[in-house]
Amino acid sequence: MRAYKAMLQATSVILVACAAWSASNPIGSAREGVAHKTAARASTRAEGLAAWQQVYSVLTHARCINCHTATNYPQQGDDRHRHFANVVRGPDGKGVPVLQCITCHQESNADSTGVPGGHNWHLAPLSMQWQDLNDKILSSAEVCRAVTDRSKNDNLDGQGLLRHHEEEPLVLWAFQPGRRIDGTPRTLPPLTHERFVAATRTWVEAGTPCPQNR
Amino acid sequence: METYTLTVNGQPKEVTVDPGTPLLWVLREDLKMTGTKYGCGIAACGACTVHVGGVATRSCVVPVSLIGDRPIVTIEAMAEDPVGRAVQDAWVSHDVVQCGYCQSGQIMSAVALLKSTPKPTDTNIEASMGGNLCRCGTYVRIREAIKTASQQLT
Repeated sequence: MRAYKAMLQATSVILVACAAWSASNPIGSAREGVAHKTAARASTRAEGLAAWQQVYSVLTHARCINCHTATNYPQQGDDRHRHFANVVRGPDGKGVPVLQCITCHQESNADSTGVPGGHNWHLAPLSMQWQDLNDKILSSAEVCRAVTDRSKNDNLDGQGLLRHHEEEPLVLWAFQPGRRIDGTPRTLPPLTHERFVAATRTWVEAGTPCPQNR
Repeated sequence: METYTLTVNGQPKEVTVDPGTPLLWVLREDLKMTGTKYGCGIAACGACTVHVGGVATRSCVVPVSLIGDRPIVTIEAMAEDPVGRAVQDAWVSHDVVQCGYCQSGQIMSAVALLKSTPKPTDTNIEASMGGNLCRCGTYVRIREAIKTASQQLT
């Protein structure tokens, strides 16, 4: 115990001496500043990655991912089953002539009949698929890479992605998805729209970092 | 209850109904236009298909409040429509109909297909008509009739 106290005292003396030298030494101060900046950048990236995980939790919720399929059909329901009635993607993601999305999905939710609706109801393009051909949801890193790839995401930069999350009618729909045919409300994404946008903003301000793993 | 002025087959029609009432029931119950059929009530069979703003639409799931000013066209107007007339003639010549219950929806869908795709392939027909169910299984005759109507129109 006595030896431990002695070691602590010695360590304190060394730390105080180092601090004093550092304060009086311009090179030391500069190094410290660089260290602070590096720490700040690391912190921003860490915050960005944490914010991305929040964004990812929304993107992979059924309200969003059901229309970000890798297949020629949309999904529906919280169990993400294949859309009924032989609905298919069609050439532009809006169905085929007699079975367009707007054959049923109108400009707003039809709560009396349980059909969800929003402006320009359509599937996301295949380049924005967030699941594989077996309907397995892609990893956080894979979705992040797709979302930030301007050759796949309609050439959206970070601010464009933020605007998309803030304003796109079908994104907004996910947070006000209406009622099912049995009158019960559809489940909501894990964040409110406000928190989703805030998380997106943090991620964008951090430079849209993506997880490094697969 | 709300009052709506709908344009049905070119004619203004005023109805006072609950805003959530599906268009199908406005047509059948309020306007007594019973050519459009009730099949499943959940947009799964296509028997209730009408055209709203030129788009084939499942009238059983679209509340009247969401129609707005888009014109509605029903099976009752098909005899006056060049494509509708051609489809109905082809239907007769191929003796498509068995029980007939789904056929007004089938014809409305076929007309919508031919208006957007005048020369549909088998794949086009199957993808587009695949959501219209026929429990009598008249699908092969429907496909042939669509091709005949297409030939007549092009």
